[in-house]
Amino acid sequence: MKKFPYVVAALVPLSSGAVDFEKPYQLKGGEAVIELESPGYAAPALYDLDGDGVKDLLVGQFMEGKVMVYKGKGEGKFAEGKPLEAGGEVVKIPGVW
Amino acid sequence: MDLNGDGHVDLLSGSYSGEGLDEMAGLFQVLWGEGGGIFKKPQVLKGTDNENLIIKPVVSGTTPQRERICTRPTAVDFDADGDLDLVVGNFEGSYYLFRGEGEGKFSPESEKIMRGDKPLITGQHSDPFFVDWDQDGDLDLVSGSVQGGVVMVENLSGEGKEIVFGGSQPLVNFPFGKAERWSDEAPSPGDSTRVWVEDLNEDGKLDVVMGDRSVVLSAPEGMSRQEAKEGVRKVEAEFNELRKTLLTQPSLDEVKAIQEKLVQMGDKRREFMNEKRTGSVWVYLQK
Repeated sequence: MKKFPYVVAALVPLSSGAVDFEKPYQLKGGEAVIELESPGYAAPALYDLDGDGVKDLLVGQFMEGKVMVYKGKGEGKFAEGKPLEAGGEVVKIPGVW
Repeated sequence: MDLNGDGHVDLLSGSYSGEGLDEMAGLFQVLWGEGGGIFKKPQVLKGTDNENLIIKPVVSGTTPQRERICTRPTAVDFDADGDLDLVVGNFEGSYYLFRGEGEGKFSPESEKIMRGDKPLITGQHSDPFFVDWDQDGDLDLVSGSVQGGVVMVENLSGEGKEIVFGGSQPLVNFPFGKAERWSDEAPSPGDSTRVWVEDLNEDGKLDVVMGDRSVVLSAPEGMSRQEAKEGVRKVEAEFNELRKTLLTQPSLDEVKAIQEKLVQMGDKRREFMNEKRTGSVWVYLQK
């Protein structure tokens, strides 16, 4: 196991409080709040998948390891989601259960 | 990220545990991109030894098996050599490094990532994401966890050098939310958080995009919400009193009996509620 070249202060918080954010809100897919299949465990990622200059939203979930894709509409808005497909089939990441 | 450098973004995922293994261990699944949002079917990512990449835990006071399951791999040039490496979170909350050799190839040797002379641990189900949060030219670590919330760990090394971790800072505190709520209560972020950082509103400040897990409760048919809440409250009060008896140093047989009653109480609690388990995506816009 490699150790890094110098010891640093461990576990000393940089500041006592959290960052100042606006009140959090839930992202929507179309008109509906994104709510994944039971039991949930949403894992989001943003990337311009279709190359239209607008980032799309991908959300992995626990149930069957599916990945929901929400096309970006700009200004932080997204269309209704659909499962990611590969080879004509819905992607189900193995070993996610 | 473009894992193999062919110009197309690829999708990388962890897993709870792989099939066909002697013991639980999360493999890393890659969907190689073909451009235009098209991906190949998931494949297990292999090392340069042509074997499945898998965490080989360092036995140092932790439970080795917990470090192999519920993996979350992230590609980042950790050692600033120009090749993407993999940093992998896990159930225990530690992090392991697989050094990249370019074009989607990775060493099969896993290195436990340290902070000083101690393993870096940020919370169970560590969830590595790298971004220059403090805007000082190098990549910091941001992570969710099963406990909820988001933490940032500062990189002290500077631009163009291998990452060296320093202090931590909470970005989002979980106490501001709760994982379980009744359906007529205002939604709030849950636990088991997964993080992405992006300037979502393009105001020049980084924002946090956070996935979660939550449980929404509602009254069973034929029962009012008030009756349901009161029923749950009574069961929970009995549950807490029973748990206190575990502190009185009961015998092993008594402990077993108490634990069986606690399980029955869990079932009884569910008679007063319908549970909807789900996950949402929350946005925290930085002011």
